[in-house]
Amino acid sequence: MISKEEIKNLAELARLELTEEETASLQKDISNILDYVGQVSAVADGVEQAVPPHHNVMREDVPRRAEDPLAGKEETLRAAFPKREGSYNVVRKIIQKDE
Amino acid sequence: MSNLSELTINEASKKLAAGDITAVELVRACLENIKAKNGELNAYLEVFNDVEAQAEAADARRAAGESHPLLGIPLALKDNILVEGRRASAASKMLEGYVASYDATVVKKLKEAGAVFLGRTNMDEFAHGATTENSAYLPTKNPHDTTRVPGGSSGGSAAVVAAHMALGALGTDTGGSIREPASFCGLVGLKPTYGMVSRSGLIAMGSSLDQAGPLTRTVADAELIINAIKGKDPLDSTSTDVFSKNTAPKKIGVPRHLFTSGVDQDVLENFESSLTTLKTQGYEVVDIELPSAGLALAVYYVIMPAEVSANLARFDGVRYGLSQSGTSLWEDYAKTRGEGFGPEVRRRIMLGTYVLSSGYYDAYYGKATAARETLRREVAEAFTQVALIATPSAPTPAPKLGEKTNDPLTMYLLDIFTVTANLTGNPAISVPMGTVEREGKRLPVGLQLTAAHGNEDTLFVVGKEIEK
Repeated sequence: MISKEEIKNLAELARLELTEEETASLQKDISNILDYVGQVSAVADGVEQAVPPHHNVMREDVPRRAEDPLAGKEETLRAAFPKREGSYNVVRKIIQKDE
Repeated sequence: MSNLSELTINEASKKLAAGDITAVELVRACLENIKAKNGELNAYLEVFNDVEAQAEAADARRAAGESHPLLGIPLALKDNILVEGRRASAASKMLEGYVASYDATVVKKLKEAGAVFLGRTNMDEFAHGATTENSAYLPTKNPHDTTRVPGGSSGGSAAVVAAHMALGALGTDTGGSIREPASFCGLVGLKPTYGMVSRSGLIAMGSSLDQAGPLTRTVADAELIINAIKGKDPLDSTSTDVFSKNTAPKKIGVPRHLFTSGVDQDVLENFESSLTTLKTQGYEVVDIELPSAGLALAVYYVIMPAEVSANLARFDGVRYGLSQSGTSLWEDYAKTRGEGFGPEVRRRIMLGTYVLSSGYYDAYYGKATAARETLRREVAEAFTQVALIATPSAPTPAPKLGEKTNDPLTMYLLDIFTVTANLTGNPAISVPMGTVEREGKRLPVGLQLTAAHGNEDTLFVVGKEIEK
């Protein structure tokens, strides 16, 4: 069974705030699911992956305003900002004094 | 007038073309049904307030000489498909009030064809589920028995079509989310070949698995919609027009080794009788072995959460959607994501984070991708011998509301027959094959047919035989 510390560590990696109660229920659920999907560990290694049908789909490095669904929609995108000042998106300062 | 909403898309299309009915009359019939039934079924999250105006515009386009089979046809859209200027929430509190800034390519194509959009339909949050009970906006109920689920995750789209609140709908299918609700609601549901339909403007779940497709009352209607939405799109580099025709003989392969347990007896009886129908139509039915298919569900529940954890990392409260503040940047993220995502979404993000984390990656994600490749080869090999593979769409009819919510694994098992086509990229359709009785109610069950990549036409031909 996966430990409570592992659940807390995963939640930290995944940027999820969990309650104590949910930590316990996830410990049980994730363990059960891992038991089930653990069947895949029986699969042999070294299966060579086929060449995918799409390989390095490229385009010229030029603006494609005509096809761009967001062309001219700058204001729509700004309108979705959770916190806005003029045309700027206000975000938290990420470099802090004690770091 | 209200029986206009019971027309198939093809029937309505002919009447519109002949001038027997107008698009406005057609949408009024749907709106009347919505008014009568949506309160109980909770299938639409929002009915658009300009439906009649859209229909008037379609009628005007026809009067000006335009014609398209979908011109003036009222359709519903799953809530993870973007329409510019309209809300799209993926049935999540994370995106409550979010307004889409552009049209999904499928929407753009349907607008060009002249379809009318009635509204956005309920779903499992971010398409994570098989019953529509994981919606942040209450479950949808099955029109055939309102004590039961409609299936999921495209459960709202299935319910609106089954209850004649739309003539057809778009859903998305990552592991069965179109086919399984089609089976539970007595509809046709198609997951196209991976790459056939552009994913641009769909709220992503598992990017190597996702496809959008139709839920309709007939195979011919599904064909009409797919022809309107398919095609290579510069905005989705995995989309393509290039497929080769499968020339295998009129044989249908049945991997019976997969149904030795866990499938309801009366579902199997319906399955056998639909095979008999196909035999009388000149198809040979042969047993095939797909040795890795028994592992498909385990493989899927490694690969899908891995892709989910990556795709849902974008919901960080910085650019759009829910945004909560804590005392640090980490807390801002964690509070936003802790409150915005529901329990099943959090579970899948955690699971995906686990299988991708250093130390477990090789044992889970590495093994799963190897098994996926083996499965792809087995299925490709089968299609050198047979034109189609047949299975039931789901092991049971629609479960009761609440029956599958206590243990996530029992809900995952509903996907057992559908996930393979997503892992291998093959097209697969669910077609009604009969009904089974539960507690005095007749419940529909579906037949799943899978074809070689790009061979949707074979699904339509054989699907129509089953419909007869």
